Amino acid sequence: MTATPSTCVAAVAACVLAPLVGVAILRLTERRLDPRIVAIAAITTSLVAAMTAAAWWHLSDDTPILVGHRLAGGDLVHIDGLTALLLPYVAVVDLAIVLVAPRRAFASTGVRRLLLGAAVTFATLATAHPAALTVLWAVSIVATTTTIRSTIGGRATARVYGRMMAVAIACMAIGTALLVADPPWIAGSGTKGAAGGWLVALAVMIRKGLIPFHSWYPALFSGASLATALVVTMPQVATYTAVRLLVGHADGVPHELVVLANAALLTAAYGAALAVVQRDVRSLVGMLAMSQSAMVFAGLSGTVPTELCGALAVWVSSGLALTGIGLVAWALESRGGTISIETLQGRFADAPALAGFFLLFGLAALGFPGTLSFVADDLIIAGSLDDHVHAGVLVILTTFFAAIAVMRGWFRVFGGPVTVDAPRHSILLRERVAFTALLVILFGLGLWPGPFVHSLERVAASLLASRHHATSTVPLGEHP
Amino acid sequence: MTLHGPMPDPVSALVAWQLVAPAAALAAIGLPALVGRPLSERATTRVVSLAFSSCFVAALGVLVALANSGFAAQVVHLGRLFAVGHHTASIDLVADGLSVPYVCFSTGLCSLVNAFAGKYLHREPGFTRFFILLALFGTGMNLMVLAGSIDVLFAGWEFLGISSALLIGFFHERRNAVDAALRAFVTYRICDVGLFGASVVIHRATGTGDFATLFSGDWPHATCLVAGPTAVAITLLFAFAALGKSAQVPFSGWLPRAMEGPTPSSAIFYGALSIHAGAYVLLRCESLLDAAPLTAWLLVAVGIGTALHAAVVGSVQTDLKSMLAYASMTQAGIILAEIGLGFRLLPLIHVVSHAILRSLQILRSPSAMHDRHELAAALGGHPGQSSWSVVRLLPRNLSRHLYHLALERGFEETVVSRFVVRPLLAALMAADRAERRWVAVLGGTAADTSTRDPNGGLS
Repeated sequence: MTATPSTCVAAVAACVLAPLVGVAILRLTERRLDPRIVAIAAITTSLVAAMTAAAWWHLSDDTPILVGHRLAGGDLVHIDGLTALLLPYVAVVDLAIVLVAPRRAFASTGVRRLLLGAAVTFATLATAHPAALTVLWAVSIVATTTTIRSTIGGRATARVYGRMMAVAIACMAIGTALLVADPPWIAGSGTKGAAGGWLVALAVMIRKGLIPFHSWYPALFSGASLATALVVTMPQVATYTAVRLLVGHADGVPHELVVLANAALLTAAYGAALAVVQRDVRSLVGMLAMSQSAMVFAGLSGTVPTELCGALAVWVSSGLALTGIGLVAWALESRGGTISIETLQGRFADAPALAGFFLLFGLAALGFPGTLSFVADDLIIAGSLDDHVHAGVLVILTTFFAAIAVMRGWFRVFGGPVTVDAPRHSILLRERVAFTALLVILFGLGLWPGPFVHSLERVAASLLASRHHATSTVPLGEHP
Repeated sequence: MTLHGPMPDPVSALVAWQLVAPAAALAAIGLPALVGRPLSERATTRVVSLAFSSCFVAALGVLVALANSGFAAQVVHLGRLFAVGHHTASIDLVADGLSVPYVCFSTGLCSLVNAFAGKYLHREPGFTRFFILLALFGTGMNLMVLAGSIDVLFAGWEFLGISSALLIGFFHERRNAVDAALRAFVTYRICDVGLFGASVVIHRATGTGDFATLFSGDWPHATCLVAGPTAVAITLLFAFAALGKSAQVPFSGWLPRAMEGPTPSSAIFYGALSIHAGAYVLLRCESLLDAAPLTAWLLVAVGIGTALHAAVVGSVQTDLKSMLAYASMTQAGIILAEIGLGFRLLPLIHVVSHAILRSLQILRSPSAMHDRHELAAALGGHPGQSSWSVVRLLPRNLSRHLYHLALERGFEETVVSRFVVRPLLAALMAADRAERRWVAVLGGTAADTSTRDPNGGLS
């Protein structure tokens, strides 16, 4: 391979810029080009660029690419295994959303906001600079709040989201400023550094929707469009921020990370348990997303590679599976309005293909053998048992409740008496393509997990190494 | 379990075929359905028939090879899925005196039910769905029976659970079928925690999930390799898992309702294979039971209790399939008691003979009633007298109470619902209401905290 680090940086830049170019094209050619085509082209370009960056990293010797001086303990451009894993993942999620989104979602400025949000997420995943992360958080939160506010009936949700995220941004800004003043990456944190770490942890807890700051999570799924909810939650930007800012302290795994992990475990079990009694599909997806995304954090604080690999695998598997469930729910909603699961809805005859996809995504989300989530659960349970027995028990409880919630949702949506003159909606080609692609990834990586798990092991090793190398005396401004 | 290393290639291939064939059938009929181009009915039944028939013949071949070697256990390593640090996931199958006869019997039965279902479900809207689930079940069954480690066994066990629940809810337009499917799935899931827990204990105790680290020697004379308390913990968790799958008290409520599914699936799941999955797991770890008398006596108590319960309740059922369900439950209870009492070959023979008889009865049940009515019409009255019952010997007052108890299904479900399900769901719904109020406060709106079904729709 003749690719150089500059090729990788160029690929990441293309990944970030492609959605922005899409926004510009849409603005310049208002109503002359099909917004969906432009969005698909932009995100596909991002996906190809992300895959290029990932391929480069896989062929490299695991050395991160760091561009820009490490001002205040972070690099403006930081591309490593985690970036290589997450960029294609986010691009796939965004592409699926763009493919499945009903036509009305492209009628307004929605598509431009979606592309802008994708660009901000890609940029976030390619930086480790505290100030850059804070600014990108702020941009993303303001854009999301505006988008939710413009949704019909979304004002209350926008208030919930906006208020909680305002606190998160304040904590993040002050916390990163304190971390910059007293970087804990060199020789352990002083008072300012410790306070900064705790404030960043608080910001992460809020943005991540961990107990006791989780309430916005199901509210977002209930009050915003499903595209917004999925775009905001599936990339797990808060988890990424925690990895960049809280991992790698000179005095080992910081207490903040341990607290976050325990809160995450509780959130995972609590969210899955509450998912069992939800009244509508959106709330169900919201609770499951809250639960599953928390599981990622439970593993990221681990000290053994197995647990970290499990966390990263859960990051991808739960994200793709829940995106699938959310999009199937959206497809059903676009055909027949809000879907209650308090009673049997009898939608099987209406949309048998969507029933099949919902079930398969459900199985892929709940750790069914042959899916990526089975591998992920196996790794995270084996790893967490090595680390903490209570973590393994809570993970088992989470999978138990989540499975019941998913199957209850499926039976409620698709089971039940069907009226003879009920409408019949066949699945659209673009929907089938998106769902099939997601399933191919979930089942393909579940049936042949070796290479993927190996690459996760490399990412985990580099994350663990970053926890230990901090004691070295390399000045912050100098790159390895 | 004696491990003699890799088997000769032809026999290894025949063992591997037990997984490959049903999985290939699953893919062959599932993928076209996924892309909206399902196979024709004839092609579907032929593909599944070919898979199960070839599995049956291959299993017979392995049985002959195994008999020639004196039924010494042999391990087939199908490959490693992944490895991280010291944690490895691989697919190891074991061919021994328990697994190979069992797989012969299960694949043979699947072949026969496939042939029956091809006619029985002709032009049924869910025809392809049924055969997809049958292939999934077959894959899971073979995976579970041939498993050489707890991880592989767990994977097969999960396949059985989901295919069973989906087949109970096969007639999705019927409210009762959907409720029964969800009830069965929840029961399975509760008891799956036992198998999950056993897997955790085994991994912590031995550092791996391989059965070879738990016991050595050939079935049924294996020797336990783990300490007494560990054996007790593992067997208790296995027994907990088995209670759900084998519909034992207090987890028996789902079985009579499971008959909402199509007759062929009722026959193979609840008359033959799925209901004995728990017994199979206990037979697999029989040497651990020898080291865990507490679990053995618990199995005897629960088994006999369930057999009595099912015999009494079954005697007042008014439809044929419910009667057969309770009859299956009775026999499953007796089989568990036999295992607890230390028998090994007897429960295996009992499983096979009961499964064959019961599946025949269930498959015959739709036409049996019709035949009986025709016979009654021809004879001008009911053929034969009503059967004599020991209940007639009991005092009138006692028999009346017994009748009431039987009608209420031993109050088993009432107790479980009142003391377990309702309190748990009430707590969850209270938490959900509190969440909604808090979100409403944050959003400045009124919360929707209307009262709902106290069972959360899980009743």
